Formats: sequence, structure tokens, C-alpha cells
Amino acid sequence: MRGSPLIRALLAFIVIAMLGWPLWRLTSSTEAVATPVSSVPATEAKAIGLQLTFTAVPKSFVIRHLEKDLWSEPTPQAEMEREVTIPFPEKGVDLIVKIEWPEGAALAAARVRLTDPAGDTHEKSVWGQGTTEEVLTFP
Amino acid sequence: MCNHLAKQAPRPSFALMKIFVLSLVALFLSPSAQAADKIRVSSFSTVLTEIAQQVGGDRVEVTGHVRPDMDPHEFEPKPSDLKTVGDAQLILVSAKHLEGYVGKLKQATGTKGTLLEVGDKFPSLKMKDDHGHDHGPKDGHKHGDLVEDPHWWHSIANTQKAVKIVRDELAKISPADQKTFAANAAAYAGKLDALQKWVKTEIAKLPRDQRKLVTSHDAFQYFAKENGFTIYAIEGLSSADQPSSKKVAEIIAIIKSQGVKAIFPESIQNPKVLKEITRETAAKVGRELYADGLGEGAAGTYEGMYKSNVNAIVSALK
Repeated sequence: MRGSPLIRALLAFIVIAMLGWPLWRLTSSTEAVATPVSSVPATEAKAIGLQLTFTAVPKSFVIRHLEKDLWSEPTPQAEMEREVTIPFPEKGVDLIVKIEWPEGAALAAARVRLTDPAGDTHEKSVWGQGTTEEVLTFP
Repeated sequence: MCNHLAKQAPRPSFALMKIFVLSLVALFLSPSAQAADKIRVSSFSTVLTEIAQQVGGDRVEVTGHVRPDMDPHEFEPKPSDLKTVGDAQLILVSAKHLEGYVGKLKQATGTKGTLLEVGDKFPSLKMKDDHGHDHGPKDGHKHGDLVEDPHWWHSIANTQKAVKIVRDELAKISPADQKTFAANAAAYAGKLDALQKWVKTEIAKLPRDQRKLVTSHDAFQYFAKENGFTIYAIEGLSSADQPSSKKVAEIIAIIKSQGVKAIFPESIQNPKVLKEITRETAAKVGRELYADGLGEGAAGTYEGMYKSNVNAIVSALK
């Protein structure tokens, strides 16, 4: 074989590198970063019915679900209802109900009636004076 | 004249009596006499130590034998502990087989004090005995057996019951202080009510179908039951031995199949295993949970310990 030893060495290096690259790719333990794989499907959002009944009309109220306001009214009435869409897993939902009752008013109550996506109704009550905040779990 | 002089000069016996009475008054007013007057309580649980201090107030002198930096599962009383227990009027233990030495405690000290096994006063949940150590000769259960879960204080409702139990026992020892103990217990119960409310509001930030706790120490069942969580206890994650590849594969499968966002290993002896699990599942590693009682610093009170655990869980699973 003729030619400069430097060129021959360079050619040999190129051949080794070409053969070595796929071999290294096959045997290397590169870290495959997994994305969160879950076989648990996300709970689909569905329509539920909410009905509120107050023994004394409050100054204000807000119903929160997973840190978001679901329903609040600037001028509440003694009875109200609304349909909202939220994920409703089999294990149920927690709703935070915050009510501001009129100043100096006697102990008052609110009844929260929830109609779940299957059409079943569930009721919970909240009692209080001043400001009341409670977590209600349905069903 | 002689009579008049006799009236003016103090008699030696009267002066001596005066000194004696003053000495007695001084003795009763001294701090050591006040301490001796207090109810002596020995506690083998950090949570019960706090309860006894809160309910008893300045009417009790509480010795906490198990301190926040100690593992109650591994604790063994020293001769100095036994000496204190021997003088105690009330001895508080968590019970539900947590203190394997409890039988020996009273026998060895010969104390006439009341041994109050607080945890035995309310229902138990069952857990696998995975602590890998002997609970004492009377226990007779083996590693892997189902035993009573002793970590009852992770239910605030149970802690409320414990407050009433300690209040009633202190009142039996010192009926004159019954009103003080009742008032102190009511004030502490009010704080626990407020804590319960805070916990419910914080946990409501998590969807109920995402309340899954993967821990290496099966200690949070009472917490789980009270707050709607499902527990997946992983054996082997805290062990000093390398878990088998089959075990690691099982752990990964559980985390993936349940869609678990974070795991809470109590102590990491196998960082390689943990790295593999988190790489395969993309689950986060949650902050340390206080499983066996109060911690240190901000977690050094019941409220602080509970809030630290809830904050760690909610922030990791959100």
C-alpha cells in the first residue's frame, strides 16, 4: 500500500469510526427519560346539577372545586340552581363552600343538593354564622 | 415592773417558732416544692408528651423519654428512664404493640403509677409487620404478619380522643385540678378542630382519584382513611439490601398502573433503585414525611408535623 502514513492513519480512523458508531449506539446505556405513563385514563368532565337552599339569604357565597371558583353569585337568593361541568370520578368530589352570612344574623343553614352524572341526588348541609367555609364530599 | 419587762422581751420559744413558720413558708414557696407538687408524667410518645403538657399545663411535670430525633420502633429504655418511670404517677405509651418493652417497664420499675396505653382505647387498622425487628417476647408475631397499625396519631379524630383520655386520667390523679384540665383540653381540642379544617381544605386541592400515597413505611393508613387516600406501601425501598430486579419491576408497574405522581420513600438506602424507579415512571420524589411522631424545628409540634406532611403530599401530587 502506498501513500503517506498520515493519510493511511486517517483512513483507518474513519473506517473504525463508521463501524464503531452503530456499535456504540446499540450497546450504550443512554438514559431514556420516561414521560409519565399511566394506564389510568383522565376522568372525563361531565355535567352535574347543583341546587342551593338557604334558611337566611347570605351576603355572598362561592363554591370552589380544585382551587377554581365553580359558582358564585353577587346577589344570592333563598333558592338557586345551576348546572356545572367538572370531572366526577367514582371516588367523588370535594366542593369547598364558603358562605358569608348577614352580620348579627342567627345561626343559619344551607342545603347543597348535587345531582351526579348518573342522575342520583346527594345532599349535604352547612351551618354557620359570620363566615362559614366547609369542605363537602359528594357522594 | 418585772412583769412589764417580761412582756416587752420576746420569749426564746416564740422567736424560734417564728423562724420555724417562716422557714416552712419559704420551703413551700420554693420552686422545688412546687415541682414536687406537680403530677409526674412519663411519656414514651412525642405526640402524647405534647398532649400531656397541653392538658396538664403547669400542674404536670412531663418527661418525654422518646424525643423527636428517636425512632420509637427502635427505642429501648435506659436505666435513667426506668428510674424516672419508677417515680411517675402517670406513664403514657402509644400502645398497639409499638412499645415492645411496655410489659417490662412496670415490672422493672415497680412503679405504682398508672400505665395508660392510650392507643388501645380506640379501634385499630391492620398493617404488615415490616419493621424487621422484634417487638418483644409477648408479641409473638413474625415479619410479614398482619398486626395492629400503631400510628394512630395520623388521624386527628384519634388524637382528639387521646386528649380526652389523658384529661380524664389526670383528673383522677388530681381531682382538685379537674376544671383546669378540662379547660386546657378544650383549648387544645379547639386547635385540633382548626387543624382538621385546614387539612380538609388543603387536601380538597387534590382530585379524589389522585389521592394515592406510595410510601416505604406503611404508617399512613389512619391518615389515608380520614382523608380519602389509597396507600401503596413498597417493601424493600428503605432496606439496606438491594431489592431484586423483580421487586423493582413490581414497584414500577404499581406506580405506572396507578398513575402515581410522586413517591415518598422515608429513608433512601438505595439511591440507584430510586433513580431507576423515577426514571422509568417519571414519578417525583416527595419531601420527607414524619411517620413516627413529631419532628424537629417547625415539625416539632403536632400541628407543625401534620401541616408539614400535608404540604409535602399536596405539593407533590398536585
